[in-house]
Amino acid sequence: MAPTIHYYCPCQSGESVQTPPPPHMASSSASFHPLHSLFFCEECDAVRCNRCVSVEVSGYYCPNCLFEVPSASVRAEKNRCARNCFSCPICRSTLQVVASDPPDGGDGRPSVSLSNVGEPPFFLYCNHCRWDSAEVGITFEKPTGLAAQLQKFEDSAPESLEFERLKEHFEPFLRTSSLSSLSHVPSTSSHHLPTSSATAAASAALARDVPGVGKYNPLARSRVGRDRTANKDEMPEYKSRMEIGVLGQLGSEGDSSDVEALRRMESAEEIASLEQRWGNSWTTSLRTSDLRPLRIPLHSKVSKRCPSCRHILIKPEQKAQSVRYKIKLVAANYLPAMTVALPHTQGADATRRPQAKVPSASDDRNAGAMMAGKSYPFHLALTNPLYDPIQVRLSVQRMHVTAATNSTAPEKARRTPFAVSLPTSSFPVAAFAEAWEYDDDDDMFGLEDDELGLEMGRTRDKDGKGKVKTVGVLEKRANVTVVGGEVVIGKEARGHVKFNMLVSYTYRSDDPLPSEDGAGTPSRTVAKTPEVKTFTFYTVVDLGPILPREEKLDPDI
Amino acid sequence: MDVPVYYSKAEFIETDTGNKVSRRATIAGPQNIILGGKTIISSGAIIRGDLRRTGPGHAVVISLGRYCLVGEGCVMRPPYKTYRGNFNYYPMKIGDYVHIGANTVVEAATIGNHVVIGKNCVIGKFTIIKDCAQVADNTVIPPNTVIPALALFSGSPGRFIEDLPESTQEMVESQTKQYYSRFQPLER
Repeated sequence: MAPTIHYYCPCQSGESVQTPPPPHMASSSASFHPLHSLFFCEECDAVRCNRCVSVEVSGYYCPNCLFEVPSASVRAEKNRCARNCFSCPICRSTLQVVASDPPDGGDGRPSVSLSNVGEPPFFLYCNHCRWDSAEVGITFEKPTGLAAQLQKFEDSAPESLEFERLKEHFEPFLRTSSLSSLSHVPSTSSHHLPTSSATAAASAALARDVPGVGKYNPLARSRVGRDRTANKDEMPEYKSRMEIGVLGQLGSEGDSSDVEALRRMESAEEIASLEQRWGNSWTTSLRTSDLRPLRIPLHSKVSKRCPSCRHILIKPEQKAQSVRYKIKLVAANYLPAMTVALPHTQGADATRRPQAKVPSASDDRNAGAMMAGKSYPFHLALTNPLYDPIQVRLSVQRMHVTAATNSTAPEKARRTPFAVSLPTSSFPVAAFAEAWEYDDDDDMFGLEDDELGLEMGRTRDKDGKGKVKTVGVLEKRANVTVVGGEVVIGKEARGHVKFNMLVSYTYRSDDPLPSEDGAGTPSRTVAKTPEVKTFTFYTVVDLGPILPREEKLDPDI
Repeated sequence: MDVPVYYSKAEFIETDTGNKVSRRATIAGPQNIILGGKTIISSGAIIRGDLRRTGPGHAVVISLGRYCLVGEGCVMRPPYKTYRGNFNYYPMKIGDYVHIGANTVVEAATIGNHVVIGKNCVIGKFTIIKDCAQVADNTVIPPNTVIPALALFSGSPGRFIEDLPESTQEMVESQTKQYYSRFQPLER
C-alpha cells in the first residue's frame, strides 16, 4: 500500500477542540479527507468537507437518457424518468426497448423489416441478465412514451390511490400549518445568531412538511398554540377507501398464499431478493415473476454552500452533462498539495519495473512495509498552488498521542513506538506559474536551477552531511519542494506508522485582490507592501504498516 | 518524486506527436485509427481499426485523443449492430486524458474526456461514457449503457456507485500527464 496523506476538516470536532483526534483511533478517519475532495471558504478562511457543506439541488436529470427534467415536473413524475428509461427488476441494469422479430420470410432468415422502428409489439429487454418484459406480460404497441404507459399502472394501484386521497385529505391542513409556520420564520431567525439561518430554514421546512412539529419549537410555541387549536377543529375524520386488511393482501396476497407459493417453490431464484424489492413504494409480491421494470430514478446536480457563512463553494453549470462550474472553491487551489513517498520502496519499484511490469499482489502488500526496530527516511513533496511563494513549517502533533497513551491501558504504550523527525525550520515553496505547466518542458524541471531555493537546499545538505542527511530540504523545482523526514520505529512497534502533522504556511496576502487576480506580473506583487498571513491545517500521514521483528521479510522483496 | 515507468526503447515506436505505440500491440487497419498525440498503446493491446463501416472511401474507425493510455492486453473493438437488416460496424470515439486499464475490453461508442476505466473491465457495445466518469476495476458494463458525467460505476452489471468530486477533471488531467512524463525509455 502506498503511503497516504489526508487533510483534516475540523467540522467533526466541537467548537472548543480544534485539534484532530489521535490518528490511531478508528474514528479519526472520519475527520480526514483526501485533498481533492475538500472545499475552501474564502470568507471563513477555512477548510470545508463534503460532510459539513450544505447542499442544494440545482437541477435534475435522468442518468440514462440525460434529459434535464424541469423541477416542476419532477414531483408529478415521482422523481423518476418519464421517458423510455427503465432498469431491470432483476439486475438493475438498463433495459432496452426491442421490437419483436419480423415475420419469418420462409427461408429461415428473418425478412428485412421495412418500418423504421421494427414490428410491434415492443418489449423491454435486459442486455445483462436477459430478462424481458414479455415474461411478465408487459408489451407495448408503440416504442415511445413507455413510462407514461407504465405510470398509468402505477397510478391506478390501490395503494397509490389511497395515498393520493390521504394527501388530498390533509392538504387544507398542510396549507394552513405551512402558512402559520412561514409567518414564524422571521421571528425565529431574528432570535438566533446569523449562523443558524440554515437551522431556522430547516426547522421551518420541517414544521411546514410535518404538521404538528411546529408546536414543539420552543421559540414558536406561543404562537402555534393558537393555530393548533384552530387546525384541530378543521380536521375532518379520514375514511379509507377500503378495509386495511384488504390493502395488506393486495401486494403479497396474504400469508396463506405466500406459504402456498413457498411450498411449491423449486429454486431460491423464484423469491425476489430483498434488494430487488425494497426500492418499491408499496408492499409487493414475494415472487420474482411479479417484479416489474422500474423507471430510472433521477439524479441531481448540486451546489454546495459553506455551513457557517452560507457562501457558495460549488455552483455547477446548468447543463446536466457539463463538468464545468460557475463557482468552484476547492481546497486544492489554496492549500499546498502534499504527497508522501518512502524512498526504500521506490528504489525497489524502479528496478523491478522493467522485468515484471505488474507486481504481484503479495509484493504490493509487503513492499511498503517497514521493519520494527529500524529507521526509514521518507519524502514529502509540497506543491504550491498559489501565485505567491509560501513559507511552510511542519511539525508533528506529539502531545496528543502521548496524552492518549497515558490515559489508557499500559498495552497502549506500545502504540507510540515510533519517533518522527521533520525539518524544524520553515522552508520556501516557490510560486505556481502557468508557464511551468507547459507539457513539453516536463524534463527541464530537474535541470533548471532555482536561484535562491536550490542554493539553500544544497547548503543545508552539506551542513547536515553525515548526520542528518535525510532530514531537510532535498529538492526544489518549479513550485514543488521535496523535504525529507525520518521515522525511527521502536522494537516493539505494531500497526501503522501514522501520525498527525501540523502544516502552517505563510503567504503574502493581497487582500484587495483575490490571489488569482494578483497573478499578473511577479514584479507588481512584490512591489506592493506585503501583508503576510498564516494558515494552519492538520494532516494525517500514513506511511504504511510495520512488520513485526520476529517475522522474516519475504525473500522475494 | 515521480517514479519513472520504464519501457524498453526497442519495443516502442514514438511518433512525431509523441504517441508511443508498442511493437507488441496488434494494430489492425492503422489507416483507420487516429491517435491525438502523447497517447500510449501498451504491449499486447489489440486495436481493431479494420472493422470499418461498409461502403466506399476512407473511414475513421477508432479515434483516441491526447494523453490516453490503452493498457496491456486491452481490446478496442468498434461496436456493431444490424440495423434495418444491414450488419455494420460503427465508429468509436475516445476523448482526451482517457486511461484504460490492463485487459479491459472496450466496445463503447463514445468515451468522453478525463475518463478512467479500470483493469479487467468489459465495456459493452454502444456504451456512452460521458466526461470525467470512472469505471472501477473488474466492472462489466452491459451494452447500451449510459454512464453520466462525474459518476463512478462498479460491479457486474456496472451500476452507479457515487458522484465523483468536483475536482476530478483536474486530477485526471494531471495524473494522465504525469503518467506520460513518467513513461520513459530504458536503453538496453
